[in-house]
Amino acid sequence: MNFQFIIYFNFLLFLLGIFGIFYSKSIAALFISYQFIIFSAVMNFFSFSNFLYIRSLWDEIFIISGAISIYFLMFCIIYYIYSKLDSLEKKMIYENFRLFRMTRSDWWGEDNQ
Amino acid sequence: MEFILYISGKINPLQSVVVLAAAILISSFFGFTKKKVFKKFIIAVGSISLFLAFCLNIYVFISMGAFSDSLLTFGIMQVIEAGIIIFAALNLLFFISAYELNSNHFVKILILLLFSTICAVFIVISENFILMFTSLTIFILTIFQLVTSLNSSVSKTGSYTLRYFLRPALTVILFLFGFSLFYGASDFKNLGQILVSENISNPLTVLGLIIFGVAVYLYFFLFPFQNPYLGLMKRARSSSNSVIWFLYFPAGFFMFLKFSELYSFYIEKSSLYTSVIFIIVTFICMFAANLGAVKTGSIRRIMSFLFLYFIGVFLLNISMFSTGIISKSSMEWLNIAGIFLLVFSFIPIYSVFSRIERDTGSDSIAGIRGFGRSNIYISVNLLIIFLSWSVIALYIIPFGKYFNGMVFSEMGAANMMLLAVIAVVFLFLMVNVFRIISVFYRKPAGGAAEKIIFPKYFYIYITFFTLAILIITVWCLMEISCIETGFMDFKITEFSF
Repeated sequence: MNFQFIIYFNFLLFLLGIFGIFYSKSIAALFISYQFIIFSAVMNFFSFSNFLYIRSLWDEIFIISGAISIYFLMFCIIYYIYSKLDSLEKKMIYENFRLFRMTRSDWWGEDNQ
Repeated sequence: MEFILYISGKINPLQSVVVLAAAILISSFFGFTKKKVFKKFIIAVGSISLFLAFCLNIYVFISMGAFSDSLLTFGIMQVIEAGIIIFAALNLLFFISAYELNSNHFVKILILLLFSTICAVFIVISENFILMFTSLTIFILTIFQLVTSLNSSVSKTGSYTLRYFLRPALTVILFLFGFSLFYGASDFKNLGQILVSENISNPLTVLGLIIFGVAVYLYFFLFPFQNPYLGLMKRARSSSNSVIWFLYFPAGFFMFLKFSELYSFYIEKSSLYTSVIFIIVTFICMFAANLGAVKTGSIRRIMSFLFLYFIGVFLLNISMFSTGIISKSSMEWLNIAGIFLLVFSFIPIYSVFSRIERDTGSDSIAGIRGFGRSNIYISVNLLIIFLSWSVIALYIIPFGKYFNGMVFSEMGAANMMLLAVIAVVFLFLMVNVFRIISVFYRKPAGGAAEKIIFPKYFYIYITFFTLAILIITVWCLMEISCIETGFMDFKITEFSF
């Protein structure tokens, strides 16, 4: 496979992830967008290692330790959703959830929610 | 004794981490205890271990000198940063002990606190990309667990906690992507190697740095992404808020400082347009933070906004460096001074305000009305601490050369903008400070103010911070005015990293 193609493809995945984070309206879509960025980063590591540095061990250690820690963090967040949030909160984050929501009260006025 | 020295040499510079780990080990035997005696014992173990870690951190550097290998680095900067983290953790231990002693999860919460402190120390001393990344991720994980444990009994905070922690989760994912780009630019394993190599100008390095910059910006919840931060701070327990302020933010800031050398390389050579962008972002962050604080009547929101203001001060340092009005070493000095001011002023202020909130049951600014009349000693201390924020006015000192001798028109457009920004944001900060002070001394709405009873140790606690701020401020002012202190050769303003 062409190295340049892999890099462009990875960057496309990254942009898809970023687009998803801004566009998604549910928590599931948000986590999928996160996966796109993680996948893009892992592919970057593998392709750089394969084409530029002739398979170094360092990047494999990075990917394993990085993936374990990130997925552990995401697992804890998802477990928290299932175990701690009540049904109303769950319904809200499944149907209407934006990571970058901006409201007027953030800078001007009280937060009376 | 020789054996201890031998072990100490082998684990150098992780002595403080080992002491904290030993405290975790001891605490873990009492994880499910509900008896107050054991809880107090664990508080003592935690306090002693943190105090020992703080002292060891300094002693090891003095006795063994700086340390650096492929994984860790331990110089004067790391000693200061780790010292701030451990000092903040010690104060958090007091906060949590004061508010959560009756909780069934108390010992588990303390174990999590010690564990997150270890992760934060690892963030500070890590040199290798792998260690930096994993320590940051696990640190965020432990802070998440700590905050959720502290708020487990508070209803309706779940979705706010979730919203908050999805942001640092995104930050670490962006960090992973950024590190992958660094790896593509060169096969170096730490930032120092990149800095001295020719790969520093590689487009992948530049792109990686932009992604790191965005990730850090998101991590700090700066304008306009502050919604989850303000939502959580308004609803969470006081102890949980203090964890976010005094552990989450400083650790993230020290992570950012690791990249400051690389950023400095580009900022030093930046064009006028880049400087203007930095100045505009700084102004928006600081001005909007002040505006929000002026508009709200909730003490928690006021403090949260003012905290964001002080995070904006670090952006101000970068802006000043980008225009060339201050040097790189001055920027580093101002960054550390800023974090000192943040920790030493917000800890006592928030400890008093959270106590008032607990006693009055109200988060409104009306709750502190008349506080200065009923609790004179504490209010005078708070007054001094609030007024110490006026040191932001000293930011105009570098501009002094344009008023004394040099031609004013040589200042340049960027520096003029910067001077205007400093003046405006300083004035707004003072408006906020005087608003709080005036409420302190106003007559209470319902006749005479009720005196809030503080424990005796609280007076000592507040006095310690006030004295520390007073001594440092007076010392700095004497040095700036070229008055010889006489009793010590060390000069704060000439200290460099």
